[in-house]
Amino acid sequence: MTTPSSTGAVGQVRRVDVPATWETRAWVLMRYSGVLLIPLAWIHVAIQDVLVGVHAIDLDYVAMRWATLGWRVYDIALLAFAFAHGLNGLRNVLSDYIHPAWARRAANILLLAGWLIISAIGAVAVIGGVRAP
Amino acid sequence: MTSFRVPLEGSLRYRGREGQWAYLLHRITGLGTLLFLTVHILDTSTVYFVPSLYEHAIALYRSTPFMLGEIVLVFCVLYHGTNGLRIALFDLFPRFWNESRQRNAFRWVLGAAIVLWLPAAFLMGRALIVHNFLGG
Repeated sequence: MTTPSSTGAVGQVRRVDVPATWETRAWVLMRYSGVLLIPLAWIHVAIQDVLVGVHAIDLDYVAMRWATLGWRVYDIALLAFAFAHGLNGLRNVLSDYIHPAWARRAANILLLAGWLIISAIGAVAVIGGVRAP
Repeated sequence: MTSFRVPLEGSLRYRGREGQWAYLLHRITGLGTLLFLTVHILDTSTVYFVPSLYEHAIALYRSTPFMLGEIVLVFCVLYHGTNGLRIALFDLFPRFWNESRQRNAFRWVLGAAIVLWLPAAFLMGRALIVHNFLGG
């Protein structure tokens, strides 16, 4: 897939021309979304898991948090970036174990469908907000 | 199942040192975090779809095994983030790449993840003891 255009001496960076395929874009996107997820996911974990804690979390707490539009936008961003990053990571792992082209295609379709459905469920909940039980 | 067992056994036996450990830990922490994330999106969604179910989900998360799992989860998120930052930095700036730097970087990554995790684990462990064993 990639062809070395020049081979440098030991210790030098070997330059290769990488074709701009979807696979390359996904590879680059994993780096950028990963770096973005460090503040995004860590702040979420620090507040909800460490500082607030699961014993203080209930329907009222979620409603109180989502009363601020900023936190809804934050949660939508987290949902979009974290779940896409995670499922693409799973796709990469599976490609190490699944070799036939048809099986990879089937796995990709399942992952894409799962991503769309679960992301949609999450997005509807964040936009719809907390309802009375 | 052999297609999964063979690479796993190979991964444990292969003497790839720091690079191999970094890779193996990155996969395990990533897959673990994804498993929880999927469940977490769905359980949080109940606040809109089936609000009465949300209290049951939270009650489960408040149990001791789940709170211990939560402490492990926070380590997974911290290690996957710090190691991911190492990968992104070396991939986006390949001029920094060399073997000894890679080895050192992994040790710093593991150290940083543990240093970040310890205070979080302390606070979460304290919350677990206070709520589940001291009746607070």
